[in-house]
Amino acid sequence: MKVEKKVEKYARKKGWKVKARLEDGILYLEGEVPSYKEYVEIGRYAGKQKNVEGVVNRLKYKGKKEVKRKKGGNELIGEADVVIIGGGVTGCMIARELSKYKLDIILVEKAEDVACGATKANNAMVHTGIGEKMGTLKQKLCVEGHKMYEELSKQLDFPYEKNGMWIILTKDSFADMPIPSFLGNFIARFIIPRIILRRAKKLGIPMHIVKRKELLKEEPNVTSRALIAVYSPTYGVTSPYLFTIALAENAIDNGVKIMLETEVVDMITEGEEVKEVVTDKGRIKARYVINAAGIYADMVAEMAGAREYTIHPKKGSTLLFDKDYGNYIKHSMTILKFPRMEHYKGGGAMLTFERNIQLGPTLMEVEDREDTSVTAAEIKQIFSRFSLLLPNLPRKGVIAYFAGLRAATFTEDFIIRRAKKVRNFIHVAGIQSPGLAAAPAVAKMVVGLLKESGLEMVEKKDFNPYRKASVVIRELSVEERQKMVEKDARYGKVVCRCENVTEGEIVDAIHGKIGARNIDAIKRRTRAGMGRCQGSFCLPHVAKIISRETGIPLEEIKKNGNGSNLFIGKAKCLLEEENEN
Amino acid sequence: MKTDVAIIGGGPAGLAAAIEAKKHAKVTLIERNEELGGILQQCIHHGFGNFIFGEALTGPEYAEHFIEQMEGIDVMLNTTVLEIDKNKRMLLSSPDGVFEMEAKAIILAMGCRERTRTQIFIPGTRPAGIYTAGTAQRLINIEGVMLGKHVVILGSGDVGLIMARRFTLEGAKVEGVYEIMPKPGGLTRNIVQCLYDFDIPLHLSHTIVEIVGKRRVEGVFVAKVDENFKPIEETKRFVPCDTLILAVGLIPENELTKKIGIELDDITAGPVVDEGMETSIEGIFACGNVVHVHDLVDDVSFSAIIAGREAAKYANGRKIKRRKIKVKAGENVRYVVPQIINGRDMEEITFYFRVKKEMENVVTRLLVDGEVRKEKRELIVKPPEMVRLKVKGDLVMNANSISIEVKKVA
Repeated sequence: MKVEKKVEKYARKKGWKVKARLEDGILYLEGEVPSYKEYVEIGRYAGKQKNVEGVVNRLKYKGKKEVKRKKGGNELIGEADVVIIGGGVTGCMIARELSKYKLDIILVEKAEDVACGATKANNAMVHTGIGEKMGTLKQKLCVEGHKMYEELSKQLDFPYEKNGMWIILTKDSFADMPIPSFLGNFIARFIIPRIILRRAKKLGIPMHIVKRKELLKEEPNVTSRALIAVYSPTYGVTSPYLFTIALAENAIDNGVKIMLETEVVDMITEGEEVKEVVTDKGRIKARYVINAAGIYADMVAEMAGAREYTIHPKKGSTLLFDKDYGNYIKHSMTILKFPRMEHYKGGGAMLTFERNIQLGPTLMEVEDREDTSVTAAEIKQIFSRFSLLLPNLPRKGVIAYFAGLRAATFTEDFIIRRAKKVRNFIHVAGIQSPGLAAAPAVAKMVVGLLKESGLEMVEKKDFNPYRKASVVIRELSVEERQKMVEKDARYGKVVCRCENVTEGEIVDAIHGKIGARNIDAIKRRTRAGMGRCQGSFCLPHVAKIISRETGIPLEEIKKNGNGSNLFIGKAKCLLEEENEN
Repeated sequence: MKTDVAIIGGGPAGLAAAIEAKKHAKVTLIERNEELGGILQQCIHHGFGNFIFGEALTGPEYAEHFIEQMEGIDVMLNTTVLEIDKNKRMLLSSPDGVFEMEAKAIILAMGCRERTRTQIFIPGTRPAGIYTAGTAQRLINIEGVMLGKHVVILGSGDVGLIMARRFTLEGAKVEGVYEIMPKPGGLTRNIVQCLYDFDIPLHLSHTIVEIVGKRRVEGVFVAKVDENFKPIEETKRFVPCDTLILAVGLIPENELTKKIGIELDDITAGPVVDEGMETSIEGIFACGNVVHVHDLVDDVSFSAIIAGREAAKYANGRKIKRRKIKVKAGENVRYVVPQIINGRDMEEITFYFRVKKEMENVVTRLLVDGEVRKEKRELIVKPPEMVRLKVKGDLVMNANSISIEVKKVA
């Protein structure tokens, strides 16, 4: 049966009116379904069909919100060989990779900082690729990208560590399957580890089996229901935002122009070509456009006349633990549980490079592309799922929780290719996990695509691959620390007591290449406010330092972007208002 | 650098301890902020010092009484203790440099910090406009900024109540104070003076079940809770607001205490101390909110005076008995401080304790070796209000078992 008919039949059986049309590998869905739930259901069904490279889901449903686009600016604000849309890890990695060539590059980002979308809210794992579906593009790029981290971290001075990962099978691994427990345990102990090892061998990932006794000796807090583990020593962890900031700073050093708070609202096309990218700040002439817009990639593609997929956000929530529990586990760990949810590695207890345990992430379809709320149900779900792994990890250890949105397409794999009909537009879409690990390989692939589409790429002789991070005082020896204080007394004044961050480091963050202008930008760069008091003590100090260093009045300091003002004015402002009335 | 007594923290506890200790020894006071007084400086309301000075002072006035007496004490401002060990060696960081200090005795007086929305697992988004009550107090009273127009306060502890009044006086509308417990968390005088006098509604057995708002708080969902503190779904309602103030409890700040390896009390979250405020490690003392959270600053100062005196004596080489008799929390007593009686030669000892549940017409009793040795009538005892029982030192000096209990008067 033809794909269109199959999808239509599926919908008809459910009583929905859906028309499907396949054109050039893209399946377009039109019609109506009752709600967002069914919209996703049929989209996912369509995405699974053979030879479908993308699903554009135009189905209507009750309460569907139309996104209003901002008005574009008229002024010409730039001209570039390549315009990159999106300042997440993918966009910044591409910018840095392209900065090796003699090209004029502009990166536009709508937020006030780089790394503000999915990049900041993932769990920082540099996956090896073992958890991905075999044969997918994301697996291939993940395996390649993972291998590039070591070198990159040396060049760009960002945290990266191969801290390893346990894949653990327990008596609960098959508890939800309709098989007797002895059989489940047998499969868990003897079949699954061998399958994993075989895959690992095929992918060239070093892994080995660790018996229960040895596992529990290494990790005494792991459940005694554990049966066996497969250990992956090369599993990595980084800081997604410090990595992205490093990339962006190095790109700037090599001539890339980064425009923050610049939102793409339209594109001017001529024939099969994008001529200009229209932003709320003005127009940018572009020879090539790279769409790394994450959760908004489909909307940006639409502006270019290249809508070849629809993004359906999948939220992931994570609980973050106090560093006090940093030695509670030695390595990050995940529990394999069957049946496995589609396109979900399952999360686990993941250690950040600063040794905070992260429990999660969850996986939840959400309609709203800005919905980063953590629900009560998710918190409950995280505790119940991961108590199967670490049954005694105390709830009181949690210091924060956060959510991020995966920019999933209905075909679920990365979509990295030239647009079908627009000659100079390149999709880098559907980047969800393992997007962080894959980013370096994604950027290489984009270079290839640009060459293919006719962009002449001449390597720069003066490309500088190195970038130095700002000083992190807490990592210094006493003597080094003393030297820094002698240089600038502000390195002696501790502002964030929980994370031990000095005033000097905050000042550095403000005057960096991409200067921090708000509380969260400082937090991402320095960790001030990231500890157990969550900024209760340091917020007033940090706000004052930003104000002093930038000249922004204190009462106008924001938490993050526009609309996130911390204060409404000076004290007494409401009383004065009252008096005036 | 060397000193006799190093005091960590220049708030009410550290100040009182320093003044007492300097009578007998060389004292160094280490404060991480740019001024002394700690949290008192932002408490511009009055009500401090009723017991110690017999008058109701504002926070800064109370602090000033002590700050005036700093002469002869080596005060180090803007100085943070980075490392500390049980041999009383410290690594300090300040704008003047990073240096080591060795003390004969140390007094921990770091105070406490506020619980955040995370620690009580309020679901929802993470917008601007959520402040712990103490941070809000500092921002308004010291930094001179206004936080919002429509305010919801979670928690009826004293700081929450004070802030309800403060916001109202600043012209904001306090939509309500929500308290998960069936009884208010703060002192009765604060319920009356901060809420009732300003017609601010207090919703008992209520909590916040969700925070709404992307960039800035847009409102909160509140709900009534059942007897197990579970929100009742049908009672969920939306309260629009731009600011959420959290007054959901204080946690003693014992990060340094943990670094040294001092024994902590699970209930108070502070170090276990004896009647001289000495911790499980000889020569390291603790006082004030780092030991347990107090209701009144006067009691903080009292505990600090003991710590200051005993620490100075220790620095001067005095040896004491260490009998390590545990003070048991008996009927309707949640915890008692001091937790240990070593048999120091002290004229009187005050036991501070909190009850588990509210009771009227009771006697609080000290039992020594199974016998009632001291009794005190109380009209009412309730969990938010600390209870004191002052006894003669020689009553417990040679005791083999000690307990405190609260009994209904027959």
